[in-house]
Amino acid sequence: MSELQCVTSVPLPELLAYWLGEMDEIAEARLEQHLFGCAECSGRIANLVNLTQAIRQQFREGRLGTTILTARFVQQLKDAGMRVREYHIQPGGSVNCTIAPDDDLVVSHLDAPLQDVGRLDFIIEGASWRHRLEDIAFDSASGKVVFAPSVAELRKLGVSTHRARLVAVSPGEERVIGDYTFKHSPYR
Amino acid sequence: MIVMNAWSPAVSIPKASLYAGLMPPSALSEEEDSALVKRIAAAAPERDAAAEAEVCRRFAPRVRLYGLRHLRNEAAAADLAQDVLIITLQKLRSGVVRDAERLAAFVLGTARQCIVDSRRNTARRERILDTFPIDLPALVDEGSEPLDTERLGECLQSLPERERTVLLMTFYADDSAQTVGAALGLSATNVRVVRHRGIQHLRDCMNHDRELP
Repeated sequence: MSELQCVTSVPLPELLAYWLGEMDEIAEARLEQHLFGCAECSGRIANLVNLTQAIRQQFREGRLGTTILTARFVQQLKDAGMRVREYHIQPGGSVNCTIAPDDDLVVSHLDAPLQDVGRLDFIIEGASWRHRLEDIAFDSASGKVVFAPSVAELRKLGVSTHRARLVAVSPGEERVIGDYTFKHSPYR
Repeated sequence: MIVMNAWSPAVSIPKASLYAGLMPPSALSEEEDSALVKRIAAAAPERDAAAEAEVCRRFAPRVRLYGLRHLRNEAAAADLAQDVLIITLQKLRSGVVRDAERLAAFVLGTARQCIVDSRRNTARRERILDTFPIDLPALVDEGSEPLDTERLGECLQSLPERERTVLLMTFYADDSAQTVGAALGLSATNVRVVRHRGIQHLRDCMNHDRELP
């Protein structure tokens, strides 16, 4: 085979499944045979790997903006050596919070009754701005929503108060699940 | 670059070809694999440097990716690419690769065997490294062009939140749909749909200057 031939271009979902180890052995071996003989498809895998590395880098540098995570994922980050500052808040509660110079990430665990919630929106607001994340991913069984604000933005903040709200959304109806208050101060 | 290892006292491999980035296509880039195999064997015991360089240019990124997929370690993947290319060039020079049409299969088979061998030798290597710790220079991906990370950041922030969470959780630790789904209370099928949609959205957002998969 020369560089320029690709008999069958492998669909992206299949490349992803291969990269993430989701294929059975036979399918994986067959795909690897193709990848070794096909510059085009191996190039597409290379692009995929570059993308995954860039996403990790963006997250590590705190450039993803406010992001919804899970407790398990946060534990993975800590196990990998990331320094994570964590806050746990009940509905209606408030917390004094900050970010230290050596913190890699600040995470808030919002307790919330999530049984029977289909779609959940997350609203975060400051004195003069409001941001709504629609249809966030959550595990209702965990009874928690975990979010991480942008570290880069947190470091710029002075003394300020921010409010988060979880809203259950169903056709024609919105129901507040919980309000949470963050009293931020720069690290001293 | 002269590489020394147990299989070969001295095999010369173009340094840039060891890394993921593709070296620019050479004059031989349209040659069939089989033509390269025949040229290298015919030149032995002399070297057909151009044909060997083309084999390295063609297969080094593929072996490295194979190594990354199975070893999940950049340095180990680079080592694997180096080892596999050394063995491959040796075999090509000695005419052992008889079925010239199946060079890709030969390289893949060699990569598989090297990984099996390295797993057997891991404990021994770790003991040696513990006894003789050395700092290796970071490998630089010399050939590939970086993504526009600023643009990528903007595109990631513009994704629907659910897609962003799934992509981050998937790619941070290369977790399967099953694992991510279990953490988010979603089915594996649902995770696959969301992550595929997320990548498509990223590609649409970035595709002006850079080609994503």
